[in-house]
Amino acid sequence: MLQLLREIANRSSEWVELRYHARRSKRISVRNGKLEESSTLRLAGVGVRALIDGVFGFASTADISESGIARAVNEAQSAARASATAKREKIASFPHVALASGEFAVKTDDPLDGHPLTEKLELVMRIDQRIRSAAKKIVSSSVAYSELQDEKVIVTSDGAAAHIIDSKPDFRVLAVAQKDGDQAMGMDSAGVSGGYADLFAGRTPEEMADNAVRLAVDQLQANYAAGERATVVLDPGLVGVLSHEAIGHTVEADLVRGGAITSGKIGTQVGSDLVTLCDSGPSQYQPHAAGELLVDDEGVKTGRTVIIDHGVLRSYLHNRESAAYFGVEPTGNARAFEYSDEPLIRMRNTYIEPGTSNREEIIAGVKHGYYLQGLGGGGQADSNAEFMFGVREAHEIVDGKIGKMVRGVTISGNAFEVLKSVDAVADDFSWGLGAGHCGKGQLAKVDAGGPHLRCIVTIGGRQE
Amino acid sequence: MNSEKLIDLCVDALDRTKRKGADEVEVYAESVRTITVAIEKNDLQVSRAQKETMIGVRAMCKKRVGFASTNDPTTIDETCADAVTLAKASPADENNVLPQPEKSEYVSGIYDPACEGFTIDGAIEQAMKMLDIARSIDKRLILGNGEFSVHIGTRALINSKGVSWSEPESLFVYYALATAREGEKVSNMDYQFDATRNADSIDVEPITRRACENALGSLGAKKGESFNGQVVLSPNAAQSLFASLILFQANAKNVLRGMSRWKDALGSAVASDLITIVDDGRMPDGVGTASFDREGVAHKRLNLIESGKLASFMHNTYTATALRMENTGHAAGSARSVPGIGPSNFEILPGERSKDELVAEIDKGVLVTRFSGRADPVSGDFSGVAKGGYLIENGRISRPISGTLIAGNTFEALKSLSGVSREQERVFSLTLPYLRLEGISVTAG
Repeated sequence: MLQLLREIANRSSEWVELRYHARRSKRISVRNGKLEESSTLRLAGVGVRALIDGVFGFASTADISESGIARAVNEAQSAARASATAKREKIASFPHVALASGEFAVKTDDPLDGHPLTEKLELVMRIDQRIRSAAKKIVSSSVAYSELQDEKVIVTSDGAAAHIIDSKPDFRVLAVAQKDGDQAMGMDSAGVSGGYADLFAGRTPEEMADNAVRLAVDQLQANYAAGERATVVLDPGLVGVLSHEAIGHTVEADLVRGGAITSGKIGTQVGSDLVTLCDSGPSQYQPHAAGELLVDDEGVKTGRTVIIDHGVLRSYLHNRESAAYFGVEPTGNARAFEYSDEPLIRMRNTYIEPGTSNREEIIAGVKHGYYLQGLGGGGQADSNAEFMFGVREAHEIVDGKIGKMVRGVTISGNAFEVLKSVDAVADDFSWGLGAGHCGKGQLAKVDAGGPHLRCIVTIGGRQE
Repeated sequence: MNSEKLIDLCVDALDRTKRKGADEVEVYAESVRTITVAIEKNDLQVSRAQKETMIGVRAMCKKRVGFASTNDPTTIDETCADAVTLAKASPADENNVLPQPEKSEYVSGIYDPACEGFTIDGAIEQAMKMLDIARSIDKRLILGNGEFSVHIGTRALINSKGVSWSEPESLFVYYALATAREGEKVSNMDYQFDATRNADSIDVEPITRRACENALGSLGAKKGESFNGQVVLSPNAAQSLFASLILFQANAKNVLRGMSRWKDALGSAVASDLITIVDDGRMPDGVGTASFDREGVAHKRLNLIESGKLASFMHNTYTATALRMENTGHAAGSARSVPGIGPSNFEILPGERSKDELVAEIDKGVLVTRFSGRADPVSGDFSGVAKGGYLIENGRISRPISGTLIAGNTFEALKSLSGVSREQERVFSLTLPYLRLEGISVTAG
């Protein structure tokens, strides 16, 4: 395929980008013992971007024969040509960047194909059964496994020639407990770039099930939190959610141009000097981050992009086009979910760098506050960094000690105000957003995480 | 890909799946070609051409189901094998059955052969027309987003009981999102949509004009007032507030799971007697019109709510079998997944009075053109911001208001509503009138 795409690209006198993407995906989901879905999907095709007179045209085809791809190149070029006369804004030229060449594969010792479909289906059925029989109070359960296996070849007429192999499984469990008409939900999930054993390296499926059950049942006995502005210690999962959802989207260069709050703020202090926030293609500190991306979908080699350096905003996230507009180097953030999608600016693995404090000491320093873990039911954030997230598990901190569980906790505020309030960052690290996708018109597998840290947020609770 | 070739592909996949050990098989295929021209910030964004044929295979072995799909004809054999492997490993469910063949009556008017000659230049011309219209109306306008797209496709479905359908279709879709800006003042963002099956009926002007005029009209909006009272919803706001809630309750899968509030409400009042809701999969020029559903059951016209009384749920074969009710032909979804349940052309039938007449009877109220917030499908509680809101005073629209919150309960609002306009607008595959609600909490933001 690499050879074929190269030949086709070489025939074009104008700049062209060819992206072959073959995907095999599997999804198995069970709810209350009933199979909701067990399916496989195979997709193969080529997405073509052409650039003529500073204007892009895009075409995709599932016909991956030489003539089929050549036809798509023609279509992309006619789309670009037809738009070029009418479109006002043009791309001058791409800035210099190292384009990828060679083989790139996500590493694993335990490939997904070594485990047959039936094994995965039996696992999902067994864990669903385990949840429902774990406690009398459990009234509903659901378990899902899914995996994406990708092969890509990216060739551009200015030198990219990369062959990429990727593998991303994820697993989630959900338990609903009920007592006297009162319901509570518990969940857990994991997602990685890697193989089957990597997915369960942190917690076994049984541990995840038991965790969800414990959370659902314990919440029934917990009181609702009262609303207040409070000092909190966030776990790596919530630090990740904050970094990705509330900060990360506001530094995507297309949204910056659309008027996001970070516009014009490069070089200014946007957070506490304890905060260094990055978005990285390769996994950092802990292997198998779910958003691992070695080469982006424009053929740019990825690295670690420092967005905020000791509290100072240093960089946006770019594709080749936005880098040209801002006069900087591309950061390798162009991603397309399927062959028929155009690459957009997307995050990869977004995190805050570990600090120097000890986690126990950070908690010990809180007189009255909360220890908050993981993203619960839903949340939202917008381009002015205002956010509201549900918290999966919350405990009071009283006189430096973790106390009883509280339920129904949401946190909200302005993410940059929260970053400014950070007064301690732990020396630990983990990824915490593995399962699921980020959506921006199309999907992307991403991860996010960091260390434990202490900051101030607004706690939303319920007055009873 | 034409109908005959697509049917051949389906027949081949069905035979392979049978040979691999399935006792019942369904094969659904969709072949689509699309041209899309996108608008962003008063300029063309990017033009796209796409082409794909997707095949979905559902295999049953002793009432166990497996599903697999592919867009790559060279992997059809592995795909059929996956469906059988998954079926054999799955738990049995006696409601896993396929529909029987019935008389194939095809709808007319959903395919215009002229679409085949429609080029990317033709699509760009339409997008440019939208930009020109906005420019000619007022310099303060920004078409922040918009799109003109052409979808040309063929759908085919066969099953081992003898069901066999295939039909071509064409659809031209266009929408515009407009805002107006004057110095620091930014208007509400207004969104309008339309679509047609025929190249001759393409007309981007009315929706572009409406989006622009609504945006301009909301410029200079100021703080509203707080009261409890009447609210008039535009078709767009009615869609956000009511459509998903009604569709959730009327979905037989949610009835089966015990999650629908209307699970025991067949024949009883769930809405004001002014409300009649029809889902008509054979509506002329409908966005959701097709002869057959995702399982090969013929589409028909179905009353969901008749003068306020719940008349029917939406079923696919699974729910109809499990609940022992009539299959309404509402299997929905793409060739990428097992059939779900969904509407085709959902319509709240028009009332007898005009929108202006509904407004004229209001002493103090709010007109909401877009709703941005949350409407919980289970509890029915909603709260959110009235975007493009206008204060109504003494029977007239007096001024645009911003940041106004509205809150209430959709189940109650549906029962107590006091007006349905004769004007209707299309919001995707839904056709909706203006609705006048009573007893809504309105809070100045």
